[in-house]
Amino acid sequence: MAFRFLIYNFTMLLQTIKKDFIQYKAQAEPGNFLTLREAAFAEFEKLGFPTTKQEEWKYTSLKSITDNTFQSTCEIKSLVNDLFYASIESKLTANFLVFVNGSLVNELSKIIEKDNSIVISSIATARKNNQAIFNHHFGKYAMVEGLAMNALNTALLSDGAFVFVPKGKTVEHPVVIFNISDASDLNVLAQPRNLIVAEEQSTLTIVETYYATGTNASFTNVVTETYAGKGAHVEHYKIQQQAGACYQNNFTQFFQEADTNINHVTLTLDGTLVRNNLHFYMNGENCNSLLYGLYVTDNKDLVDNHTRVDHAKPNCFSDEKYKGILKGHSTAVFNGKIMVHLDAQKTNAYQRNQNILLSDDATVNTKPQLEIFADDVKCTHGATVGELDEESMFYLRSRGIPEDVARKLLLTAYAVDIAEKIKIPELVELLEQKIDGKL
Amino acid sequence: MLEIKDLKAEIEGKIILNGINLVVKPGEVHAVMGPNGAGKSTLSAVLAGRADYTVTGGEVSFNGKDLLEMSPEDRAREGVFLAFQYPVEIPGVSTTNFLKTAINEKRKYLGLEPMEATAFLKFMREKMELMEMDKALTSRSLNEGFSGGEKKRNEVFQMAMLEPKLTIMDETDSGLDIDALRLVSAGVNKLKDGERSFVVITHYQRLLDYIVPDFVHVLYKGRIVKSGDASLAKELEAKGYDWIKAEVEQGANT
Ligand SMILES: Nc1ncnc2c1ncn2[C@@H]1O[C@H](COP(=O)(O)OP(=O)(O)OP(=O)(O)O)[C@@H](O)[C@H]1O
Ligand SMILES: [Mg+2]
Repeated sequence: MAFRFLIYNFTMLLQTIKKDFIQYKAQAEPGNFLTLREAAFAEFEKLGFPTTKQEEWKYTSLKSITDNTFQSTCEIKSLVNDLFYASIESKLTANFLVFVNGSLVNELSKIIEKDNSIVISSIATARKNNQAIFNHHFGKYAMVEGLAMNALNTALLSDGAFVFVPKGKTVEHPVVIFNISDASDLNVLAQPRNLIVAEEQSTLTIVETYYATGTNASFTNVVTETYAGKGAHVEHYKIQQQAGACYQNNFTQFFQEADTNINHVTLTLDGTLVRNNLHFYMNGENCNSLLYGLYVTDNKDLVDNHTRVDHAKPNCFSDEKYKGILKGHSTAVFNGKIMVHLDAQKTNAYQRNQNILLSDDATVNTKPQLEIFADDVKCTHGATVGELDEESMFYLRSRGIPEDVARKLLLTAYAVDIAEKIKIPELVELLEQKIDGKL
Repeated sequence: MLEIKDLKAEIEGKIILNGINLVVKPGEVHAVMGPNGAGKSTLSAVLAGRADYTVTGGEVSFNGKDLLEMSPEDRAREGVFLAFQYPVEIPGVSTTNFLKTAINEKRKYLGLEPMEATAFLKFMREKMELMEMDKALTSRSLNEGFSGGEKKRNEVFQMAMLEPKLTIMDETDSGLDIDALRLVSAGVNKLKDGERSFVVITHYQRLLDYIVPDFVHVLYKGRIVKSGDASLAKELEAKGYDWIKAEVEQGANT
């Protein structure tokens, strides 16, 4: 059975990791990394892969993944360089950490930040050079209990980005975490793991981006944890453009101390199956959390955005807007959970999910989920599924703009509204062209 | 220019236009008046090609071509322009980008090269000055957050940019302050060249002081029930519609 083969692979991998870790332990300071991963793997074994019988996975079947076998490989091909240099992200003046199938590619990675107190490195390096900070934060925010895919990532993580911004510092240039799945030779599995620590009053921009190459399948199971210390400001943009037979499960957790600002944008422009889990936990007062998403789907693709905002403390604000454009036989899932805890008085939480169906065969499953335990809160939510506004279409056409051009103008405007939440103008401009090409 | 023959239209089975006859010759200005719900906006929408209405009878020819056969965009590119009673707000589409697209699509249709970016901007600046349009307005999303008067002025600005052969204005004067009314009229009068024609739908004589009509028509219950010269508008202003309604009822009874 394919499924068993997959587990078999993972077990092999785990043994390798165990061996590596034992070696590491023999020559370095003791830590709880191995214990953590063993526990995570036990949790994964207990839970197994999520199935559609579980409420959280009702519309998203991982069968196409679990029916496949995947290998972890770190052989780097030269065409990966071409892909990198052709990408819009590579045009940015930025810090780059480039990972192929989860392993760091030194030749393409480049850190231009001058301040030595700011750390931008791989997880592997951070575990040597920034052990205390790493151990203090790793695995503290993205939980594994009950979350099989997080458990799997924690147990078998390959490598990933580590960013540390000390108190009061500003990272001048964006940090681009550039992931490539190279499925040229075989089905590949990557389990990147990112840890971002922005201390008190620091400022940072992260661009997390995904590409794929090769005709085989790829499966990316990534976890990103971000800790935002008091008053920190984090801009975080996720751009998913994995063309081909690409599967991705993406878990992103923000842990916010008081007075933090987080602006997050997810753009899903390609991918056979993309499941995004975006979690915010507000652990202090006066936090602002902005969650914006755009998905453009086609063929038989499935894009599933599950978000969860935990208003755990009073006086916090969250604004969420996800927009979709669906073509072909594609499916979109949106599930937006807002938890307003008992303590969280004066919460303001807004949520919208809008969808435009350009095909009769496309499907949207959208569900807001508000759980409010405090009494003095303002929460609104709304979901729409429909076609382009007819009044607007007629208005444009009545000025001599042909139907197809008018439709594209309106769709671009609709999509760009989200893309423009990204505060890097050069990137937005290039993304707009990209989005335009998709419509 | 425009010839409407026994035009009938309905929506959801409800007859709204019930045999309209109207001939507009090049260079003429026609005012269309009539009580609320008479079918004035419906007439303008049917001429512009709104799909909500079903044309159940009659013909409309525009410069010898069958207007009703054409898509809304082709009508526009042939030279028909409708200034909407309620212009739509379109977030995310800037007025500049919108107008550049519209002008170049029209040029493409007419077999002309697209307008150079600098020439376009110069042309637009001229028309903005004419309409005293604030630069801030054109850089914003189309009509988004515009005041009622600003939207109307933007319609006439678009008309000035697109230089249509036939302009249909649906209550462009409603909601305009005195200065804006003067500007809107100036925009129209500037475009008048003895060839271009105008159908001006209005409730008020006020506008017709500035844009003097050659003919005034009264639309009532989906029909043009009375036509006359500019003095008819003055008479309506003074007397209202009751006498016309009475005339129609009487006509129906005899
Ligand atoms: N979509 C629609 N569905 C049903 N009835 C409609 C629709 N649109 C228009 N009507 C009806 O058609 C009639 C004519 O409407 P129209 O808007 O053309 O009037 P009008 O002469 O422009 O009035 P006003 O002076 O108030 O602008 C009205 O009775 C109106 O209610
Ligand atoms: Mg009307």
